[in-house]
Amino acid sequence: MTMTAERVQQVRFVEPLPGFADDGTFTFSPIDPDDVLFSLRSVQHPDIRFVLASPGAFFPDYAPDVATLLAGVLGTDDVELLVMLTIGTGLADATANLRAPIVIARSTGRAVQVILEDALLPMRAPLLGL
Amino acid sequence: MLILTRRVGENVIVGDDIVISVIEVRGDAVRIGIQAPRSVSVHREEVYIELQKANEAAAAAGGASDESLGAAVKELRRDGGPSKG
Repeated sequence: MTMTAERVQQVRFVEPLPGFADDGTFTFSPIDPDDVLFSLRSVQHPDIRFVLASPGAFFPDYAPDVATLLAGVLGTDDVELLVMLTIGTGLADATANLRAPIVIARSTGRAVQVILEDALLPMRAPLLGL
Repeated sequence: MLILTRRVGENVIVGDDIVISVIEVRGDAVRIGIQAPRSVSVHREEVYIELQKANEAAAAAGGASDESLGAAVKELRRDGGPSKG
């Protein structure tokens, strides 16, 4: 997958992130220069921060096709799909939520967390598969 | 809470634009259809609650700084770990 160099710096959820109804707007910034990890920090509550990952780097076979499904909600099918990480002490014990990825419209930053129908997809998949 | 009885093929309307249909009843399982505007998200309750918990855990796991994560992922890639996404 090729990445465009330009990326929105703010992400706005068109539906509340489950558990975070008061946090609609987040600053979005890359953590590493290769665009593997991203930080998503709540504008309303800056102490709330999520780490997202580009799934291709860790789960090469994971490529749910959601662009068409979400085009109506996000207003475009030009989207980037990222997975939310839960990190204990570091990447070694991190897990990724493959069941409910974050999908972001590249041009506008409109975003949604979508629950995929495939119930076999784990919400806590070990990131490094150790 | 409104409690009512519907037969297969009958509907319930919620508000102006949400229609819930009873499609099939078999034993203790009921298949229902839900028509709702795009602005209304519809989820299985247990999955939604699990996702709430997963998100809360993800947010709570803020111990690792951006700097340490950036360094860790750089290290992994140098070791032939994850490829560019």
